[in-house]
Amino acid sequence: MWRIALKGILGRKARLVLTSLAVILGTAFLSGTAVFSATLNQTFDNLFSDVFRNVDSYVRSTQVIEADFGQQERQRIPVELVDTVKQVSGVADVQADIQAFARIIGKDGKPLGTEGNGPPTFGSVGQEFKGALWSISQGRFAAGPTEVVLDEASAKAGKFVLNDTVKVVAQSGSREFTLVGIASYGDVRSPGGATFALFDLATAQEFLAKPGFIDDILVSGDGSLSDTELAMAINQAIPGTYKTETLTGAQITKETQDEIGTALSFFGILLSVFSYIALGVGSFVIYNVFSISAAQRQRENALLRAIGASKKQVTRAMLIESVVVGLFGSTVGLIAGIGLSKALSALLKAASIDLPSGGLVVPRSAIINTIVIGLIVTVASAWLPARRAGKVPPLAAMRETAIEYVALSRRRTIFGLVLIALGVVSIVSVTNGASKTLLGFGILFFFSGTITLGPVIARPVALLLGKPAEKFRGVTGTMARQNSARNPKRTSRTAAPVLIGVALVTAVAALAASISSQIDGVFTQQFKGDYAINTTARGFGGLSPSLADDINVMPQVQRATGIGRLTVKIDDKGQFLTTINPATVEGVFDIGLISGSYADLTTETIFVSEKYANNHDTKLGDIIQVTFADAQVKTLKIAGIYTYDEIAGKYTVSRDLIKDSSVISFDLGVFIKLKPGVSNESARSELQAAVDKYGQGTLLSKREYIDSQSGSINQLLGLIYGLLFLSVIIAVVGIIITLLLSVFERQREIGLLRAVGMTKSQVRTTVRWESVITSLIGAVVGIVLGVGLGWVIVYALRDQGLSSFSVPIGSTVSILMMSFIIGVLAAVYPAWRATRVNLLAAITTA
Amino acid sequence: MNNPSDSAAARATNVSKIYGHDDSEVRALDNVSVEFEKGKFTAIMGPSGSGKSTLMHCMAGLDEMTFGSVTIDGIDVASLKDKDLTKLRRDKIGFVFQAFNLVPTLTADENIRLPLLLGNNKGNEEWIQKVINTVHLQDRLSHRPSELSGGQQQRVAVARALASEPAIIFADEPTGNLDSTTGNEILTFMRKAVDELEQTIVMVTHDPVSASYADRIVFLKDGKIAGELLEPTPELVLDYMKQLGH
Repeated sequence: MWRIALKGILGRKARLVLTSLAVILGTAFLSGTAVFSATLNQTFDNLFSDVFRNVDSYVRSTQVIEADFGQQERQRIPVELVDTVKQVSGVADVQADIQAFARIIGKDGKPLGTEGNGPPTFGSVGQEFKGALWSISQGRFAAGPTEVVLDEASAKAGKFVLNDTVKVVAQSGSREFTLVGIASYGDVRSPGGATFALFDLATAQEFLAKPGFIDDILVSGDGSLSDTELAMAINQAIPGTYKTETLTGAQITKETQDEIGTALSFFGILLSVFSYIALGVGSFVIYNVFSISAAQRQRENALLRAIGASKKQVTRAMLIESVVVGLFGSTVGLIAGIGLSKALSALLKAASIDLPSGGLVVPRSAIINTIVIGLIVTVASAWLPARRAGKVPPLAAMRETAIEYVALSRRRTIFGLVLIALGVVSIVSVTNGASKTLLGFGILFFFSGTITLGPVIARPVALLLGKPAEKFRGVTGTMARQNSARNPKRTSRTAAPVLIGVALVTAVAALAASISSQIDGVFTQQFKGDYAINTTARGFGGLSPSLADDINVMPQVQRATGIGRLTVKIDDKGQFLTTINPATVEGVFDIGLISGSYADLTTETIFVSEKYANNHDTKLGDIIQVTFADAQVKTLKIAGIYTYDEIAGKYTVSRDLIKDSSVISFDLGVFIKLKPGVSNESARSELQAAVDKYGQGTLLSKREYIDSQSGSINQLLGLIYGLLFLSVIIAVVGIIITLLLSVFERQREIGLLRAVGMTKSQVRTTVRWESVITSLIGAVVGIVLGVGLGWVIVYALRDQGLSSFSVPIGSTVSILMMSFIIGVLAAVYPAWRATRVNLLAAITTA
Repeated sequence: MNNPSDSAAARATNVSKIYGHDDSEVRALDNVSVEFEKGKFTAIMGPSGSGKSTLMHCMAGLDEMTFGSVTIDGIDVASLKDKDLTKLRRDKIGFVFQAFNLVPTLTADENIRLPLLLGNNKGNEEWIQKVINTVHLQDRLSHRPSELSGGQQQRVAVARALASEPAIIFADEPTGNLDSTTGNEILTFMRKAVDELEQTIVMVTHDPVSASYADRIVFLKDGKIAGELLEPTPELVLDYMKQLGH
């Protein structure tokens, strides 16, 4: 049987390629994402082992606040510790280090690097040091309050040369410096796309942090002690009251690598989830191709049976073929995936994220994974078609080829309906209070039920969707419509990948539309001003608090207020506090105060949300103890309760609370109300000038601001769409393969049509419309499922504050249009093949 | 080009069809010249390999000839590009094949009107009804081919060939797949189409009985015209075939 199977495969190389195509694509995404993740990991590992190569010890505070989303805030340490460390025997050299927010403003007035979601923008200390992170490649290190050194990539991007004036924005505002040097970081021009502005220690403290404080101390030993001994010696030299710890170079390297590894692994998991979705979609295509190919070989298999092959042998021959296809496909897929990961790296480079040239890492696990999973998916997808091939009666050899058995079993209908019913019951029971894990099962049941019912609904849906084609395209439309309905099993298997892709896209779009409309509502309710200054930087950097103050005193402005955020510890848990300026907030930004007044918010008091008050059974006058990032503990009295907690969260304090501490504080938005009678036009240019002076944030009108807030979800949406695109590609390939096989199967029919007068362009039209109808079936059913899925997800997120569900009308329309276009594009090659049918051969072969 | 006074619906002049080159050269048609008169039923006969199907394919614009020329209704076939050739087949030629004559997804009525539908042409409704009546298909129009018997399917094929009032109908062994009773029925319809509807039919066959329905028989052998017989009967045909050394 091996020999028959192998001969069969080699005899039809074209079909081998077609069948393998789905396997190749599916596994290419799998290996591509794995290789990309591994390479990225390795790259950062190398980078950080380079960074701390000559650092033997690392001193920092032990005080850390960890808030939601893995954000960390570590307390700063007093600069006098540098001298303490320097005097420890065994220490050769030390450097005080600061890593803080600083943005370099380009010559065109625009900040370098992307705000918010791009790589971070740092301000740091650059000086001569034995274990230096930075080495000067031009000029010298900065000395004094007016000098700065830039990393090489930033200098190049901003077209800065020595002695240029460079504007830098930091927490304390913006300032101009003279460029005295350009530095490189290990082997790279700048680490991972981040920008760096380097100052001398005193300037860095005063400009970037708070005078007298630094982030950490880098130590280089003289070689007399081992790293561990040196760290212990330093630890003993620093009084315990400073709450510091000393790590060895190896430890800090490991820790940084692990941190990056965790962040990257999230990214890697996201990538691999979508590549598995793509592979799942691909398995439908593989299953479909094997089914069609088994049907087309029915006579051949029947002949084998007639001359004495057992059912088992026929089945085995097809399984052997699937093993060959699986191995061939996943091997090619593996190699294609490596190419794909290179393309991803090139994409990052094009987005000016300069990764150190680490070389491609192809982990053995990725190789084994790709081949094994590719093989399993292929053979599993071929299993049913192979069994069906074995069941062909020997008599079929004598009959005219009846292409594929199309009768639909009642069992299928019942099974599909039962699955859908189970899905509905699970989802309904959740809305009646059952555990939410049932939602997942509900969705799974519903999807499987729909896919099972696919062949049953494919015919009526195809005939319905084909109506317009028939109306506008005449007899070619009629034939396209009938062709897409003539084999409902095949049509539904071809449409299934489209369905899955469209359902996921629609669900994501529905979720996004719901979130957007909610955000829109919240901001419309709470933002009462005319203009806002927005920053997309979250967690790291933001708007300098003095920006709001400067704008507040402008003559056109009635009031401008800044809203910021602080990370603190309450009851030993990381929490966010919203900081407001009680003097200016009223009438500009409404938090819906229901008791107390803004005047009550002092450095001794705190406001809490109504929800918090109810949940914790607290009332005005109760006490909350807050631990700040600098370990300062304050006892605050509840002086007010508010209702609008969507933006403000549970706690709101006055920004004066931290005015004199080393705690970093930025505003995340400045909200502006103009004086009555001031024209928006004239005010805007004045406001813009004020914003430009700081070089931070973007000035937006009320409408623009609200749109940008509700639109921020779109970035995430873009990423998810991009990843789902993988599945869409596979779905398109699925349609192409099916159409090609159908065209092959209908050669005689096409030949006949050509003989009695169908033009080539009419042949193409017929194939094209069949493709469009098939694609639309997937899209229409997918949209219905996707909206349902979106509703379920929004429902599941009800507790997270998502209260309204919106149907994404715009996205739905564009998805329909996309699937129309996909149908047209997928038909291009098969339609061309159809016109190449040999007319004579088609009508004369008996 | 179109010459209505021409009595020939189709004419082949010095047509040769050569496969292969030099030593391996095969002449499927060797300098064949023949005319098919308007309003007549002509049969082409000959042993297998004699070139009878090839002649039909070349004349119907389904295959390209190596040398010579063919005119259909006065139009020079060789000069046409694919698109115009397709239109010629659609508008001027009717076809009946041995098997697989109908599009399985279309109803009998749609199949009959197929050439007209493809040409976005309403056609002559009175004529179409007449054709449908002639082949007795009134009750079967909404059926699909899979719901029709072999004889009914061939009747639909004959009706389709007639529907566009073509200049000439080519039939390639139209009864080859049918039992003799059904086959005779089809031939009777074809005869009626010529006698009552004034159509021109050229039929390729190897069956003397079928050929005897024609007004004239053209014999082919080894790619050449071997003779002609007018007003044939089955006995005459058999005798003639014996003379040809068959």
